[in-house]
Amino acid sequence: MIWRELILPVIVVLAALGIGAYVVAVLDRLIAGTLGMPQTGSAWQAPLARGAWLLTQTANATEAPDWRAWRLAPALYLALAATGLAVVPWSETLVATDLATSVVLWGSVEALATVVIFLHGWSANALFALIGAYRYVALGLSYILVSMFVLIGVALPAESLQFTQVVVSQAELWNVIRQPLGLPLLLIVGLGMTFWGPLNLADSADLAGGTASEVSGPPRLVWDLARAAMLVAFSGVAASAFLGGWLGPWLPGPLWLVLKMLAVLAMLLLLGRLLPRLPPERCVILMWVVLLPLAFVDLVWAGAAAL
Amino acid sequence: MSHGIGVDISFFLLAALAVYTGWRVFCTDSMVRASFFLLLSFIAVGAIMILLTAEYLGVAMFFMMAVEMMVMALFMVMFMMNPAGLNPMKMVHQERAAIVAGVIAFTVLSAVAVFSGFPDAPLPAKHAPVVSLGLEMLGDSMLIFESAAIVLLATMIGVVVLSSHRGRYGAADVGSMPPGLAPDGEPAGQPQNEDEDDDEGGGHAHHH
Repeated sequence: MIWRELILPVIVVLAALGIGAYVVAVLDRLIAGTLGMPQTGSAWQAPLARGAWLLTQTANATEAPDWRAWRLAPALYLALAATGLAVVPWSETLVATDLATSVVLWGSVEALATVVIFLHGWSANALFALIGAYRYVALGLSYILVSMFVLIGVALPAESLQFTQVVVSQAELWNVIRQPLGLPLLLIVGLGMTFWGPLNLADSADLAGGTASEVSGPPRLVWDLARAAMLVAFSGVAASAFLGGWLGPWLPGPLWLVLKMLAVLAMLLLLGRLLPRLPPERCVILMWVVLLPLAFVDLVWAGAAAL
Repeated sequence: MSHGIGVDISFFLLAALAVYTGWRVFCTDSMVRASFFLLLSFIAVGAIMILLTAEYLGVAMFFMMAVEMMVMALFMVMFMMNPAGLNPMKMVHQERAAIVAGVIAFTVLSAVAVFSGFPDAPLPAKHAPVVSLGLEMLGDSMLIFESAAIVLLATMIGVVVLSSHRGRYGAADVGSMPPGLAPDGEPAGQPQNEDEDDDEGGGHAHHH
């Protein structure tokens, strides 16, 4: 009882969080190496070495920061990633939290991430961090809207707001074929919410690191870990919502989900390395003028197909 | 209906968190902190709603309040000319009236909670919170919800129309200019106009 309801879910989520974040770091380096970018050290050891190095550094202090919020924000972002991973179903029965409204809970994770990222930049009491924070709020609100319409789209054929039901509804046909616009839109939102690659506008180089510009040492390690973990949570949600989750022949369900998550992660990281960067203003215009109408089209498409 | 001791413990912890963070809203000296303390309070209330098996309403509380408080903090900072929100500022006004209103509201709501008789209806065996809420909102109560939605939307548009007419430097349809930095000076912060340069003596031209 206590094993199935408390200990096993916690172990599953923590394992996905830790291993997943490491896999993201390694995959990103491998992809960068394949694309011919300069590399130092082995792709397998470099993330661990950087983590260990960050752990031994002192945490930077700014003048009069909001200490509690500043130190809490990376941990809260990691907690949100863990919450996102908790609603991903690994098989019909192996789900950390099989909430009846797990799709909406994932939506709240995205909304709360905006608050946490803002807090991370705001509480440092430093210029570039603050600009990064406000920039993310402007962008984050547009990401949330796109993602919400896409997720309502996958809830329609399932007639449920539960990820397990969403997966079961794809037994005949995966949502990636049924709603072809959904997965690309969700992947773009994923890159935006973890500010990865071209959509790294909150922590970008033009702001000398943005919200993380003043963060060093262990808090920086937690922040980097949380971003990678959030990308893993995104891949889990995308695999469950569009690629049939645990469904698949021959192999056991959890293994199928891991394979699909790896495929989504590889796709995201490759996109992160290949797509060009946009200035934040044009990114907001792209979100509202192009992607949001596309999300409407996706929703109408899903509704018409469900009828 | 029977429930585990875990539910009771969670309820008391969440209730304490909701009350504590709600109280901190009035003690903090920053708009951003006040907004996010209020957000924490709402999240605790949302979790209590999940304990009450109102799963959709509880989770909806999380994302609605997250976006709402974020936008509220942003707009307060924009309108209050306190760019970071980290500068300490007094966050309470009209304390006497507020205290009286607060005490009255607390007494009335507590009296309702203590003295009213709540129905002792057990949960139906096949309780589906999302389905029943959806049927309620788009079934018998559809007219009420839809009219409320349209009234709210009309109110929002009306407020914007009414309040945006009068700008900081005059009416919007007249074409307003900011005042000068010195009395009767040029409007401040305007791009330099070619013609005005010539009228003022064309400082650059005379050097040739």
